[in-house]
Amino acid sequence: MNTRLEKALNLEPSDRVPFLPAIYEHKAWFVGETPSKVCRDINLFTTAVLAEYERVQPDALTVGIDVYNVEAEAVGCKVTYYPGNDISTPAIGPEGTIFQGADDVASLKMPDPKKDGRMPLNLEVARRVVKVLGRDVPIRGAVSGPFSMASSLVGSEHLLMLTVTHPGLVKDLIAFSAEVIKRYGSAFREAGCGVIIFDSQASPELLSPAMYRDFVLGPTQGIIKYFKQLGVQHVPLIIGGNTTLMLDAYLETGANNILCDAKADIGQFLVKCSKARRAFRRNLDTSDFLELTVKELLRRALKMVKESKGYPGFILGTGVVPYGTPLANLIAIREVAQEVRSVKK
Amino acid sequence: MTKAMKERQESAQSLEQGKTQRVAALTLELLEAGVSPQTILNDGLIAGMAVVGEKMRNGEMYLPEVLQSASAMQASLKILKPHLTREGARPLGRILLGTVKGDMHDIGKNLVGIMLQGAGFEIVDLGLNVPPERFVEGINTHHPAIVGMSAMLTTTMLNMKAIIDTIAAAGLRSTVKIIIGGAPASQRFADEIGADGYARDAVLAVGKVKQLLGLTV
Repeated sequence: MNTRLEKALNLEPSDRVPFLPAIYEHKAWFVGETPSKVCRDINLFTTAVLAEYERVQPDALTVGIDVYNVEAEAVGCKVTYYPGNDISTPAIGPEGTIFQGADDVASLKMPDPKKDGRMPLNLEVARRVVKVLGRDVPIRGAVSGPFSMASSLVGSEHLLMLTVTHPGLVKDLIAFSAEVIKRYGSAFREAGCGVIIFDSQASPELLSPAMYRDFVLGPTQGIIKYFKQLGVQHVPLIIGGNTTLMLDAYLETGANNILCDAKADIGQFLVKCSKARRAFRRNLDTSDFLELTVKELLRRALKMVKESKGYPGFILGTGVVPYGTPLANLIAIREVAQEVRSVKK
Repeated sequence: MTKAMKERQESAQSLEQGKTQRVAALTLELLEAGVSPQTILNDGLIAGMAVVGEKMRNGEMYLPEVLQSASAMQASLKILKPHLTREGARPLGRILLGTVKGDMHDIGKNLVGIMLQGAGFEIVDLGLNVPPERFVEGINTHHPAIVGMSAMLTTTMLNMKAIIDTIAAAGLRSTVKIIIGGAPASQRFADEIGADGYARDAVLAVGKVKQLLGLTV
């Protein structure tokens, strides 16, 4: 088993900096198909994850393509899938949401991960990938965070308005979402893998740090505590955007591996994560993939690693890798990680 | 300070606080008191939204509060619109907005629309997941001065170039200025695809639009 990531999460020195690129819709590119097709086909999806490992050699794999749709779809939301060769990522549009705000949260259907929507498909992919690669690399099933799932059910703008006009309703929706996430995460655990939580709709670019504390922190703590009780040793929580202002609350969630996105202040992360003994993944900006040459990307990645000052909990990552990104770009960043050893404390 | 002046000031403050009903009531009171709709627009709504934009940039206001202020602005504009039309008042310019094909994210685009409307522009919103042909159709129908495109994903961002090319192929490129925005976009990308401008956030978008139209920033 590759223990490099494990060591970083335990803040222990390892042979090199772990590399975790954020590959979701780009998985489909590895099998020459569209995200809409691959995310609905067990065989293609499994092959895509295996191909990702073979070609990119990340230090962990995530089972998930259109991460934020899966739970909401299982509850009843309508996902737009794109036909033919359209490489757009499936998403829930305004007409696909099911909750209008005046409804009763109790009327929402609690999905069964074994039966509803694409949850069973994602779980089967996880089982198959664990069977092939489980001894080589950590594998995590992707679940939404509670605020992001509530956003998918209602629509982001509507949910943000409701935080002011109907805060009680928002709390009920988040509590419902948290229960769905626990069940889905538990099913991933039964499938033999870990869990990774994505909650970028709760980023300070959309929600204030005070609102995060009021609405999201408690339910998120509950989810992470539950996963840990199930035996998931490391629970990453991914919130994109500049999370510097909410870093204290982010650490209070209990996640032992958090995201320091490209816009966040790495200095603050180093100080606070070191004190709280947490690992963090530092992301290269997504747009860099489109705008920089391989040489420039290499230089940028190297600069990021240097900024980590040898922190053993540092993980080199990327923003969401665009579909069709040349393999050479990802390999270049990985090579930076391979060249740089963690510094012993 | 006259009663009407105080009410205009209160209107701006209530807008900032997102008090929709109060802003609507004050708009009616000011109209009844004989204050011109243009003055109410300038001193109440535009002034109020300018403060909202500034506070948002400084991290003193967040999106939920901004959306409440926008809702208050819409309520007042609904009352003012027939009066403004009757007086022959004209907006600063017409802006056509849309989130590009394949992209279902519209908060950023809506926020730009709110801030532009709050600054005195007329907005025609094509919505989200908008294909290039609908942008062309929108230009032909609404004759905007500016076309604004938004994308939140790196994959969909690439569709911006296809839209600009389609607008050019339809012979309409010289009739509009084009600005782009969205999390993965940048000035460098705007230059590459031949857009006229890029704005990092909704407040900067207002300045960029004014600059492109030769208005005082």
